[in-house]
Amino acid sequence: MSHIIEPHTSTLHTRRDFLRTSMLGAAVSFTIPVFLQKTFFTLDAMAADSAIQTATGKDGTILIVLQLAGGNDGMNTLIPYADDAYYRARPIIGIPRQNVIKVNDFAGLNPKLTGLKGLYDEGHLSILQGVGYPNPNRSHFRSTEIWQTASDSDKVEPYGWLGRYFDSCCKGADPTVGVAIGNESPQSFTSANPTGVSFSRPEQYRWMNDDKSGASEQIYREMNAPDPTDMRALDENDGGTIGSLAGSPTASRHGESNLEFLQRTALDAQMSSDKVLAIARKYPAGVSYPRSALGDSLNLVGRMIAGGLATRVYYVSQGGYDTHVNQAATHTRLMGELNDALVAFAQDMKAQGNFGRVVLMTFSEFGRRVAQNASNGTDHGAAAPMFVMGGAVKAGLFGQYPSLDSLNSGDLAYNLDFRSVYATILDRWLRAPSKQVLGRQFPLLNLV
Amino acid sequence: MLSPLQATQWDLRNAAHLLNRAGFGGTPDEIKAFYQLGFDRAVQFALLGPDDSTQFPKPAWARPQDLMEMRQTMMLMSPEDQKVVQQDLQKQYRQNDLDLITWWLGRMRYSPNPFREKMTLFWHGHFATSVQKVRETYLMWQQNETLRQHAFGNFGLMVKAISRDPAMLIWLDTRESRKDHPNENFAREVMELFTLGIGNYAEDDVQQAAKAFTGYRIDPRDESFRYAPFQHDDGEKHFLGKTGPFSGDDVIDIILQQPACARFIAKKVWEFYAYQDPSGELVNALAQKFRQNNYEIRPLMNTIFRSAEFYSHDAVRTQIKSPVQWVVQTSKVLETGLPRPQITVNALRQLGQLPFAPPNVKGWDGGKAWITTSTLLYRYNMANFAVGNGPLRIERLRRVANPQAVAGNGFDVQNFEGPDLAKVVPQQVRGDPKRLVAYLCFRLFQDPLTPRDTEAFVKYVSDHGPNPDDDSLRELLHLMMSTPQYQLT
Repeated sequence: MSHIIEPHTSTLHTRRDFLRTSMLGAAVSFTIPVFLQKTFFTLDAMAADSAIQTATGKDGTILIVLQLAGGNDGMNTLIPYADDAYYRARPIIGIPRQNVIKVNDFAGLNPKLTGLKGLYDEGHLSILQGVGYPNPNRSHFRSTEIWQTASDSDKVEPYGWLGRYFDSCCKGADPTVGVAIGNESPQSFTSANPTGVSFSRPEQYRWMNDDKSGASEQIYREMNAPDPTDMRALDENDGGTIGSLAGSPTASRHGESNLEFLQRTALDAQMSSDKVLAIARKYPAGVSYPRSALGDSLNLVGRMIAGGLATRVYYVSQGGYDTHVNQAATHTRLMGELNDALVAFAQDMKAQGNFGRVVLMTFSEFGRRVAQNASNGTDHGAAAPMFVMGGAVKAGLFGQYPSLDSLNSGDLAYNLDFRSVYATILDRWLRAPSKQVLGRQFPLLNLV
Repeated sequence: MLSPLQATQWDLRNAAHLLNRAGFGGTPDEIKAFYQLGFDRAVQFALLGPDDSTQFPKPAWARPQDLMEMRQTMMLMSPEDQKVVQQDLQKQYRQNDLDLITWWLGRMRYSPNPFREKMTLFWHGHFATSVQKVRETYLMWQQNETLRQHAFGNFGLMVKAISRDPAMLIWLDTRESRKDHPNENFAREVMELFTLGIGNYAEDDVQQAAKAFTGYRIDPRDESFRYAPFQHDDGEKHFLGKTGPFSGDDVIDIILQQPACARFIAKKVWEFYAYQDPSGELVNALAQKFRQNNYEIRPLMNTIFRSAEFYSHDAVRTQIKSPVQWVVQTSKVLETGLPRPQITVNALRQLGQLPFAPPNVKGWDGGKAWITTSTLLYRYNMANFAVGNGPLRIERLRRVANPQAVAGNGFDVQNFEGPDLAKVVPQQVRGDPKRLVAYLCFRLFQDPLTPRDTEAFVKYVSDHGPNPDDDSLRELLHLMMSTPQYQLT
């Protein structure tokens, strides 16, 4: 190899850098592990493909996806206060008419969502009513999967909708193109060539060691980068001595083996941790965020945006919405946390001058049943509202509030397919071909 | 499909594989001893290990409370006092939760029969119930005992026991289910997640099954299962093509008659023990055995542990360790205790698998889902702690400076000091860097590494002179564990 990198002295910035520096021009392509080979060959194709986007972190649009996990009670979020049927169905947990923050003469917001009403009035929040999909599924897991993969309810789609976006538009991009706050990677990020990183505490998002000399760090970097002597990945059928090295690459009958996956994640971890840590040290919180898990998550997103992390999509979540029993207290608290965190984030973005660059979208796997249950809670339902917030968002109420008179098995019927919202965000906000990502063309909304 | 492994193929590597998967691995000596049992006796040992219940007596708090009496006493108190008592109770439960996790991890780590604990861990992930909703630790302990009792027993009996298990009655709201308001939560999950899998029943079957599971209650006097006939709907139900005044047990019996049930369980067990995405043929062969044996679990495990497929290249060294596996196996291979409860519990939470607190009723996804950039770095940093670096090293330095000082930096060094290097890296392998690295490869991976990785570690040892000091050896262990390979078993 003509060019040997010294990992300790020169920190690599992207997976592409790594490949360029270590492999391009050298006759080593036959030893490249499968997972890198794929990326390697896409480099040539990149220039020709106009859909490819590069995130610089300094400009360009950013999407923040906020999952309300557990099935948010949409009817106590956006309340059809003018409909007596609502109060008949929910004699105990219905929100009294006088407490509703009225948005129009039919529906209004949960009393805790005062800040969201402010954003709505100033023109930075849109409320999408009755969002769902045909033949709704009431299982948390299946319905979450449907939302995460943007599939029809009777089809199983192997990859996430954001993963497919990364795949079709962000090939060769830095792994931080998708960032999930937390320790998990959301299903919506899964793809044929998975990318994206996750972290929750920047100061702990690094490899720690006691060796001050740096020798140890250098070995760590080397061991967690591709091994050019590793030829196992090439010979899928070998079962001899090479195959019996620690971690057989022939593990998975489908695509990437667990070892290859681990190697790739290790490289992503190494490269992204340097950047995240540098940004975290340089950019403290811009505004004061409320003390809640969601507040902490959005605070971190705010700092990463301030520091210009090359990210197109951030993913955060707020849990606890599965309110089967005595839901009033729980749901009220959740609405309060949601409101306070979103208001702080909007302030932060405005102070940074980045409000016009971000769109935040909420979703939940389903709404809840119209009628309260015997335990003063609500069971799994169907259609529910979504919020979309940002400086460039066109404020307003979109769609129709589903009728309480023509229910579908006791649940609100959808009248806006969530994939229209995704399509709009992809086409109009991320500038990505939604038809290619979602598999077909969904009607666009005049949302951004 | 499912050809048995020939006894002649039983070698050290396969023995290590069985010990890793059926249990939580072991030291080089333990692997050798397991190998020397021979294939037959090793498999038998993994299926019928010794009873360890006298070694792990139940925790002091693991007894029922008289909720009725508590409620009556509380009613006589002022609202302020009630609040104080409630808070104390919650505090006690949280302490007990920590105790319960520690108790179980200790049993996995030290039991002479880790195999039953591993199987119990599988069933915990399968009938995933969280203390977050159940609240009371005793009920979680009791469920854990029920799962242990049935771990290698009969699957049908286990499902029936679980349908009456008080923690489950709370977790999936069965205790709320009334004749005139059947709750569908348990009825749905018992089919979707516990027995059949989605697509093998209709929405109507959920509603019909929900009627059958009405009348299941918890007795407030001793927190045991109680059947309340007046709350049970004994009318006709139409369930999976059959009609009758079915009880909950009848519904479970009808479910067990579905071929989908045996396939669903066999596949899940195989994926937990061997590898993901087994072929349809393999699953069918296993499922057939399972049904032939009337859903007895031990014969199913016997078939798995004896099959050549279990020792194939698809299986050996291909599984991503679960966080629990990582923690227990690390403690075994480094011959250390478990780090003190707060550290271990926090690590398991960060790594995504806190026992008794699965994320939802689906349990842990496992496999690649264990690994993100975040959890991978956390594993590497946990390894740093496990080898005795970081805060433990600072503590050692402090004690060298002041031998009279008692441990006081928050780390219980009496409980956990990292490995005894004289044991983990014996004198006889230390002279030769290549031999040392090969020895540690077997200890940590039970397998050699690639030439590049081996050379890098050999070079590291050589650079530290003919006799590397303890700090260098600890760092070497840390480096070898800070690799993709150490995450596999």
